[in-house]
Amino acid sequence: MAGAAALSTMSAGATLSGCSSSGPASGMKHLRAEDLDLLRAMAPAVLKGKITPGDTAAIDQTLRSFDTLLGDLSAPVVAGVLQAFDVLNLGLTRGLTTGQWAAWSKASLEDAESALARLRESSIGLLNAIYAAVIRLIISAYYLIPENAASAGFMPPQKVASGAPAPDPAEEAAR
Amino acid sequence: MTDQSMVKIGNSSDPYNDAAERGWDITDASAITGPLQLEADVVIVGTGAGGGTAAETLSKAGLSVVLLEAGPLKTSTQFDMQERAAYRDLYQEGTGRGTKDGGMVILQGRSVGGSTTVNWTTSFRTPPETLKFWAEHMGVSGCSVEEMAPYFEHMEKRLNIHQWPQPPNANNGMLQRASEKLGYEWATIHRNVKGCLNLGFCGLGCPVDAKQSMLVTTIPSALDNKAKLIHHARVVRVLREGDVVTGVEAEALTANVRGRTGQKITVRARRTVLAGGAMNTPAILLRSDVPDPHGRIGKRTFLHPTTLTMAIYPEAIDPYYGAPQSIYSDHFQWQSVDTGPVGFKLEVPPLQPAFAAGFYSTAGQEISSSMDQLPNTQCMIALMRDGFHEESQGGVVELGDAGQPILDYPINPYLLEGVQRSWGIMLEMQFATGCKSARPAHKQAKHYSTWKEAKAALAELPIAPHKVTVGSAHVMGGAPMGDDPERSVNGCDGKFHHLDNLYVMDGSLFPTSIGANPQLSIYGLVFKLSSKLAAELTA
Repeated sequence: MAGAAALSTMSAGATLSGCSSSGPASGMKHLRAEDLDLLRAMAPAVLKGKITPGDTAAIDQTLRSFDTLLGDLSAPVVAGVLQAFDVLNLGLTRGLTTGQWAAWSKASLEDAESALARLRESSIGLLNAIYAAVIRLIISAYYLIPENAASAGFMPPQKVASGAPAPDPAEEAAR
Repeated sequence: MTDQSMVKIGNSSDPYNDAAERGWDITDASAITGPLQLEADVVIVGTGAGGGTAAETLSKAGLSVVLLEAGPLKTSTQFDMQERAAYRDLYQEGTGRGTKDGGMVILQGRSVGGSTTVNWTTSFRTPPETLKFWAEHMGVSGCSVEEMAPYFEHMEKRLNIHQWPQPPNANNGMLQRASEKLGYEWATIHRNVKGCLNLGFCGLGCPVDAKQSMLVTTIPSALDNKAKLIHHARVVRVLREGDVVTGVEAEALTANVRGRTGQKITVRARRTVLAGGAMNTPAILLRSDVPDPHGRIGKRTFLHPTTLTMAIYPEAIDPYYGAPQSIYSDHFQWQSVDTGPVGFKLEVPPLQPAFAAGFYSTAGQEISSSMDQLPNTQCMIALMRDGFHEESQGGVVELGDAGQPILDYPINPYLLEGVQRSWGIMLEMQFATGCKSARPAHKQAKHYSTWKEAKAALAELPIAPHKVTVGSAHVMGGAPMGDDPERSVNGCDGKFHHLDNLYVMDGSLFPTSIGANPQLSIYGLVFKLSSKLAAELTA
């Protein structure tokens, strides 16, 4: 569940940061270069125990899934998410809201964890909402990858071509 | 943990695979290359519980019907039991819909069949307490328990709604066990299924057409009756000549339903029925600039704000498999109707991984180890009955820059009290049934190992709108019915108070929340209203 909704109309809070003008990063449809820096720092903190900062293959796979997920949301929701990322990306608001004054590309795992904690524990509702959107989207992007869903025990039946018989309906038999 | 991946599921039941042989008239508006103009006795906007029911009733009476659906036509052949495609194709805004301040996530369907394509099949008649409240306080006539009974009975038969005969899955079984242990009333849920394989993927589209959703019941029957279905067609506004509504104007959406193709669809009809669901129906009225002298459109929109607790058990729960909802408890629902703290219904949700992970609202080692134990995880939800108490006025639908509905519904102290109280009740139930640890849906909470520890934590956690996780899968109200035009938008026959030939037939008619999963309330009410309209038009 993306639940990013949250951000579909948060422009009032986000506009204080001004809008980032850059387009999507190479190979991405929505995420911009600065978003990738942010998410590369955040993903190992959000998914601690699943992804380490050095595991670039897993991070990149999650970010590609994230980009696909954004494309599956509505345009107003995507705009809201990118505005939230602006708050976290632009120097002044990044520092004030997360305590991360250096660029995300220079952030350690501990820096990212501390940034998440500040957003989570803030008394400002908007920052709690940004926290929820960032973590939900990263975690959803990760568990929307079927092998990761399988690691949580989810191995649904296979769908086979049309015309193949379905198993006997147990309920019908019981009735 | 159970591996179902060797089980093979076929699609022999998909009626849409033979659409051509059946002579069905289905248009994919994303593919049209010029303007489309149609005429009908009745144009119905939306194909969910309201639109599907109205389409069958009206077409059966011999009336010509055009059904417009903004979402895509997706059928069991495409339902693969995986989360990504389902959330993308079958839900409003790809599950990204939420309230204006981001406080609540809203899950609503958006494909042919509407939310009935993805709901969890739970079927309740409108509770007698709710109908009585509407009659006594909301100016609703003709909807007493006795007056509604024949309509519910008809729809129950039509959709094979019956008490679930199989044992509950472990997720639901825990709600039963906990209720028995603590002396709470509980009961078995009725479901609209036929030949259900007890798989558990109702929320991702039933892969075997066992769920008796609109997609496989009333819409095929309307198509058999020569109704025309146009999907990828988003209605922008109703058309008017003076005080008379003459049809609707729609825009064609692109194949992925995220953009517009630029083509227009116009349907002229003797009667226009709006059934886009709560939020969407009020939004059409707002976009159409219809008269609203008392400012009622979009107000009092309700959600059954829902919160949850997660618990990890020593034994396997496999919460993603098996009928998603089969047990409920109303023990805390009707302790008072419209006075005192908010009442809530207790149920459980299915926990497919991305869905579960989203609801955890936590990160780091806490989410990783929680997800590793998902096969042993049980979840309880409390659905708060909003709209009865004076401190529960619901939310307000507004239009965004793109004309899209936005629901402004802050979580107020009245609801927050219910959130906190329900956590205490649900956590106690989980510890009473032997969970190893449990966690309320609070962003600063963790898994607590004893009921004592959890209770102490509940007293300490800051209870504020964005700290708690609350969502909704039941959007209701915003265009309520009632006899008094100052307090309602439509009459109790569904007719819009201020213009002729315009009707609303969906969950936006409800003057409060239902206090139960709403699908059967919509089916019964719309069967009643559409039967009356059919009789009038064929007289």
